Amino acid sequence: MPLLEAQGVTKRFGGLQAVSHVDLTVEEGEIVGVIGPNGAGKTTFFNCLTGMETPTSGRITFRGAPLPSRPDRVTVAGVARTFQNIRLFHNMTVLENVLVGRHTRNRTGVLAAIGRGPRYRREERDALDTARELLQFVGLSPLAEHLAKNLNYGDQRRLEIARALATDPGLLLLDEPTAGMNPNETAAAVDLVRAVQARGVSVVLIEHDMRFVFGLCDRVAVLVQGEKLVEGTPQEVQSDERVIAAYLGRP
Amino acid sequence: MQQFFQQLSDGLVLGALYALIALGYTMVYGIVQLINFAHGEIFMVGAFGGYTLYHYVLPSSLPSGIALLLVLLVAMLTSALLAAFVERVAYRPLRNAPRLAPLITAIGVSIALQESIRLFYPNGSVGKPFPQLFPRGTVDLGGVTLTYVDLFVISLALVLMLTLRTFVFRSATGRAMRATAQDPDTARLMGVDTDRIIVITFVLGGLLAGAAGVLQGMIASPIDFKIGFIAGLKAFTAAVLGGIGNITGAVLGGFTLGIVEALATQYVPNGSALKDSFAFVVLVLVLVFRPTGLLGESVRSRA
Repeated sequence: MPLLEAQGVTKRFGGLQAVSHVDLTVEEGEIVGVIGPNGAGKTTFFNCLTGMETPTSGRITFRGAPLPSRPDRVTVAGVARTFQNIRLFHNMTVLENVLVGRHTRNRTGVLAAIGRGPRYRREERDALDTARELLQFVGLSPLAEHLAKNLNYGDQRRLEIARALATDPGLLLLDEPTAGMNPNETAAAVDLVRAVQARGVSVVLIEHDMRFVFGLCDRVAVLVQGEKLVEGTPQEVQSDERVIAAYLGRP
Repeated sequence: MQQFFQQLSDGLVLGALYALIALGYTMVYGIVQLINFAHGEIFMVGAFGGYTLYHYVLPSSLPSGIALLLVLLVAMLTSALLAAFVERVAYRPLRNAPRLAPLITAIGVSIALQESIRLFYPNGSVGKPFPQLFPRGTVDLGGVTLTYVDLFVISLALVLMLTLRTFVFRSATGRAMRATAQDPDTARLMGVDTDRIIVITFVLGGLLAGAAGVLQGMIASPIDFKIGFIAGLKAFTAAVLGGIGNITGAVLGGFTLGIVEALATQYVPNGSALKDSFAFVVLVLVLVFRPTGLLGESVRSRA
């Protein structure tokens, strides 16, 4: 059973068909890239995979079950994401940002929080342990008590990944993880995504940096004008004439 | 000088009350950007919940300490349940409507609640004596006289505010509240059930308003169906003064307003006749000179 299976996903906004009949399958442990020119519908497709948009038609299953239609339930089911334009909780500390990601895995409610019973305290301790471990994993431990808005750009991207991982996802969606990064930061991002994969989390990423995508992904899908043009290994995609034409224009 | 300190301490009592109500305005605004103009009525209905329990339910032989505790609890629960109910039936259906729609709805809810209380109680237009369950007596602090009730009002308000602060800044649910206030869409994507968080916010505001209702009854009996209107407007002013959306600001604004009002009543000629107008003078000044309030940040657009 594939981890994620999207079949014929279509999203229309009025007269605009942003995504048309896109199929995508992600197996356990894979890194899949989604590339395409600007406006190809990549982010809209991502939004459909996270419950932010409801597809006009098509079917999405995660771990064999239909994907819930509310973002918080999608997260509980095990799909997490980061954003193209970073969306951290800017006025909270780095550690608190990750703890919010942990929220959904805590079972005790409001009354327990007011009573501060032993179960509540144990959960808070566990959440804190997990959050600290994740900060170490992305290399932000020394900045745990800083406000998120004071981090530099690369660190903010890392924090978004740590926060997403805190929800215990089976699948992590990265929307342009290297946007705005310099070559050093991009190289570090490659290592980080591989490390995420090594934790047993599958990854789907949208990216413009071709070197990054072809060097990292097991499979690459190319979206052009809302439709999937090609899907295959990086070698297959790189040598496909339609892809070259879509990017460079036909000679 | 002694008179100054007397007014100051009276201002603190008043301010504690305003601060408790202002917290409900500011928390709800922080999370859904709605000025909940029905909040004053939620406070008023809480006071009536306590009154009803005492007059119609509790046996008169009950020791007054226990009775006060029960009155307080029932008032808080009444306001909290009412706040959750109003959110569910009046505001949630308008979550994605233009912002004017829930605002007008809030005013409608406010009038509906006032009239419900007026019509529900026999002879409802007439004030009802609130049970005085706290021991009478005064303490003299170097010439400044405070009643036991005054001290109780200030202490209870402070305890509740500190509890709220701990909850919002130290608990997982409080963290989710702050995350939702900053960016609800992202909070949802982190698995936060924002609808639930919004209800919790209304409930917290209601709990504080209910407690304030009882305190109001203790310092200004009788209570009637209109007490929520003026108290609500003043608490709203306090929230704006502190910087709406900011919890610490609401407390600061509440105390500032209470003290300004008490001092102005004393020192402005014919001040006691103008008592209720000082708050709005403050509101106008704040809006002119510091629209973001004492602790407010400039409003950022939500991406």
